[in-house]
Amino acid sequence: MVLRMLESNIRFLKREFFKYYYENIDKLVPPSPIEQREFGFFIEKGKGMLRHKCFRNLEEFHKFVLNETPLDIYVSAARYEDPGNRDMQEKKLISAELFFDIDAEPDFKEGEESAWACPNCGAYDLGVVETCPACRSSVENVETVNEDQLNKALRETDKLIKILINDFGIEESNISVFFSGNRGYHVHVDQEEFVYLTAEGRREIVDYLLIQGLEENRLIEALRKKTVNDSSLKGVVWRVYRMVLESSLDKPRATRNRKVLKQSINQAIEELRVRIDPVVTIDMHRLMRMPNSINSNSGMVKKKVGLKDLTSFNPLTEAIAIRDGEVVVKVKAFPRFKLCGKTFGPFKEEEVELPIYAAIYIICKGMGEYVGG
Amino acid sequence: MGENVIRAARYPFLPEARDFVSKHIDLSLDSLDRAGSEAILKRAVERVKDALILKEVRVTPQHESNYVREILSFPIAIILVSAIGNEYIRRIYSLGESRGAYKRMLMESDETLLFIGEKIGVKGILDEENSIRIKIPTYLNLAYVFHEYRWKLVNRIVDKGYVLLSRKEYARLIQIEINNYVYEKTLESLPSVIMPQSFKDAVNTIIETWSSIEASKPDYKPSGEKGENPPCINKILKRLEAGENTSHFERLAIATFMITKGRDIEEIVELFSRQPDYKYSVTKYQVEHLAGLRGGGKRYSVPSCRTMLANGLCYPDEYCKGVKHPLKYGVKNAGVEHTVS
Repeated sequence: MVLRMLESNIRFLKREFFKYYYENIDKLVPPSPIEQREFGFFIEKGKGMLRHKCFRNLEEFHKFVLNETPLDIYVSAARYEDPGNRDMQEKKLISAELFFDIDAEPDFKEGEESAWACPNCGAYDLGVVETCPACRSSVENVETVNEDQLNKALRETDKLIKILINDFGIEESNISVFFSGNRGYHVHVDQEEFVYLTAEGRREIVDYLLIQGLEENRLIEALRKKTVNDSSLKGVVWRVYRMVLESSLDKPRATRNRKVLKQSINQAIEELRVRIDPVVTIDMHRLMRMPNSINSNSGMVKKKVGLKDLTSFNPLTEAIAIRDGEVVVKVKAFPRFKLCGKTFGPFKEEEVELPIYAAIYIICKGMGEYVGG
Repeated sequence: MGENVIRAARYPFLPEARDFVSKHIDLSLDSLDRAGSEAILKRAVERVKDALILKEVRVTPQHESNYVREILSFPIAIILVSAIGNEYIRRIYSLGESRGAYKRMLMESDETLLFIGEKIGVKGILDEENSIRIKIPTYLNLAYVFHEYRWKLVNRIVDKGYVLLSRKEYARLIQIEINNYVYEKTLESLPSVIMPQSFKDAVNTIIETWSSIEASKPDYKPSGEKGENPPCINKILKRLEAGENTSHFERLAIATFMITKGRDIEEIVELFSRQPDYKYSVTKYQVEHLAGLRGGGKRYSVPSCRTMLANGLCYPDEYCKGVKHPLKYGVKNAGVEHTVS
């Protein structure tokens, strides 16, 4: 959200979010066991997170959600002996699911595909600028997301899942994939033994996925001598090895030159690495967005995607929280965007009647005011 | 029986040794004060002394043949070490036991090696071509203490949830687990009975040995206060400040520690300026290399507590208790930041 949100907007969002939660409360099931999880909530925009909450059972949790209608709901990846304790050490960690976050890369295109706003003076416009023309402070870009960006993130997610299964031996049934509700994908892994990994162990998993800390000299030696030519050698370092060998098949001299080899290795790494956010995976105390809850950065839902449906899943249609109805919004400036198969905008200083999900999207991004309907 | 008791004597941390103890012997402090237990106590003291002096507890065939004494001397040695309550002695004793066991394991058959691994919680599966597979989480929870790059998961053969290891590497991981096990044991609280005089004497013998070793080291007195850096790092800093000639490993430890703490390269180089062999350009190059700014771009990690100990650089204070890495000093009980995704 770029600009501060008006009270009338908050009331509108809360009204709509309440409808969603009232209708879908049964889908709001935290990972078990509920009494060992810590919860966090944003109740009002701009106020701090309400955290260290815990619930004894599902009913208590549902009651809380319907009473407060939070703007965002989070649950810990960790299981604790005393999740409500405010001292992180005293919570006494039992175990924590492995958690991965893959975000779409930002892609701010010129013209009507982008918009910005100045948090300092409140100025805004379509297009891309670095500093505010009015007050010279740095601006924030309106972060919409398109299908291309999401598809790229989905391909990374697919790469991650293949490694989890083939290299790490994770059972398919222990992997859950979610659209985060805004710009990317979350992958949860709940497999015995992996949930007890220390932060150091998780860092090794991260280095493996990002291909960091590779023994480059040993790899170069192996490539030069081509002594290793065994397809049974498994693991990411050998995938890099084979990819470099294959890319140099038609240029036999390439494998002798150290500099060329280094370049090919770097290319292979770029191709093979999985672009996860390292911090998220290493931090065992992280709170994850609650599955099937609304993401107040977009008004869309964090939605589970079946592993089989990964290629056909379209988040911009399937993760819409509230579908029916139309409302009028006064839009400041908003780039062209696509939701539910329809294209909207660009808008600039106009009052428009929009399907409710599109209106919510603009308001959640802080670029519109609810007028009525 | 024969085979098993010898194995239990050689590796007294195995469950079968514990079973032997609980089945055959009344291990209360009282009963051990009686005649005949003297030899056991003597051997227990020898275990700790071996660790202090040689950093390795030796077990010879002669020791093994006297298996009752040998098996019993291990829990007694643990009691003595716990009773002393000195962090350094705890650490060096666990290191000594695990190092001795490592050397012995290298001589064992595949079968015995795998047996020991399984019993201590590092289950391995024999693969073709003399390699051993272990589960990734088991591997990660142990191998992170090594700071050589070949131990990083990214450089290993990994398949379907397993990491491939050589026999020697597998034994190294078992060694780490033995070290952890023995160390944890020495942290357990003692039964609240009055210690017999013979035990008090044994404790004193160990403390005397330790003191005479300490006397030969440069001054070491735990300050009792928790500093910003762990005592091992402060110790090296002091030596650098005084212009004393430091070893290659001490320099590596201090540089990697300061790099990880985010200190400026120039500032780190300055730390070495009083070294007898100091050359600005050489030192700068080396520090930049460790920071991953030169060469292969690898950033070197800070040695773990075990490695510091093995290099004679561990001077723990009470805030080191339970800490396995110098970077974790003081962090252990600090508040954890909270973030969301």
